[in-house]
Amino acid sequence: MATTSPSLYIYAVTGSGHPLRLAGLRAVGGGSGALRAVTGGPLACVVSPAPPDLRPKRRDLAAHQEVQERLMADGAVLPMRFGMLAPDDAAVTAALDDKRAAYVRRLEELHATAEFNLKAARSQDDLLREVLTESDDARRLNERTRDGGGTYADRVALGELVARQLDARQRLLADQVVGRLSEMARDKAVAPPAGDDFLNASFLVERERAEEFSRAARQLAQGYGEGYDFRLRGPLPPYSFVV
Amino acid sequence: MTVMTQTGGVPATASTGSGTGSLFDILELILDRGLVIDVFIRVSLVGIEILKIDIRIVIASVDTYLRFAEACNRLDLESGRKAPDKLSDIVEGGARGRTEGTISGAPGAISDVFDRDDEDK
Repeated sequence: MATTSPSLYIYAVTGSGHPLRLAGLRAVGGGSGALRAVTGGPLACVVSPAPPDLRPKRRDLAAHQEVQERLMADGAVLPMRFGMLAPDDAAVTAALDDKRAAYVRRLEELHATAEFNLKAARSQDDLLREVLTESDDARRLNERTRDGGGTYADRVALGELVARQLDARQRLLADQVVGRLSEMARDKAVAPPAGDDFLNASFLVERERAEEFSRAARQLAQGYGEGYDFRLRGPLPPYSFVV
Repeated sequence: MTVMTQTGGVPATASTGSGTGSLFDILELILDRGLVIDVFIRVSLVGIEILKIDIRIVIASVDTYLRFAEACNRLDLESGRKAPDKLSDIVEGGARGRTEGTISGAPGAISDVFDRDDEDK
């Protein structure tokens, strides 16, 4: 972006009939009262002047998210990925025209829905303990290598066996949880879990069933018991279901 | 067991969903998903790659295996978890403990991802 500096930051695409209550919202890059809509036929795009030197700062990510939350309170919205910039209003209108039918259809499909993201982790010690309890091979290798015993090859063999078992168990857990919640969702998007998590799944849930879904997720989590950590976020703008 | 739920803000009930802790859990949605319009420019986001490194992959390496072996060796197989007395106790206590963990853990992770100069001014 060295030569032609883009001038607009793009937040979301929505219907031109959306109330677009943008007053008081913080813009990405700072400043309030800077948000406005660029309309093109049945669609509208929420924009603000692009901040110079945009980077993923915490307050900017929060501002991006807050705009989505305000918009989704009043109607369907296609949230942009953070950091999209357009040169000017004409480019925005052209982009809306170009994909008009697809955006209009998707907004209709997403009407009265929201995304819920569920992340879950299980205590690694518990998993390891389970593997050692249930696998004779693992237990034997563990006993042999304790207190500096056994060979280097024994330790590698133990680690490999345990790593495989851990992975299989975590996949199974993820499948169980997704299976139980999918029936209450219209769609789902399962992504690779981060860190110690075994699950990172997003669900597209009808607004009417949101409470039922949250309750089911909580009950499911309680059913798993101690040593598990479930984090449910939602209702969220449908980041994972825009296309 | 810990259950942590967060309302994203519609309708705005107890929590706003824009605090650091909750933002951290949906970072990847904001940065990696959402609509992309091909003809537009996406600003180059230094630091996002750091997030991706954290994605769990069981890497088939000897180092990983040795770490797992060590973790097994350290494990005290005799001390299982004690059964909780009452579920409500865990929910409350667990959630509180976890919240502290999240709050103390998140800033370090976040400062890696976000810019260093990202202080509230």
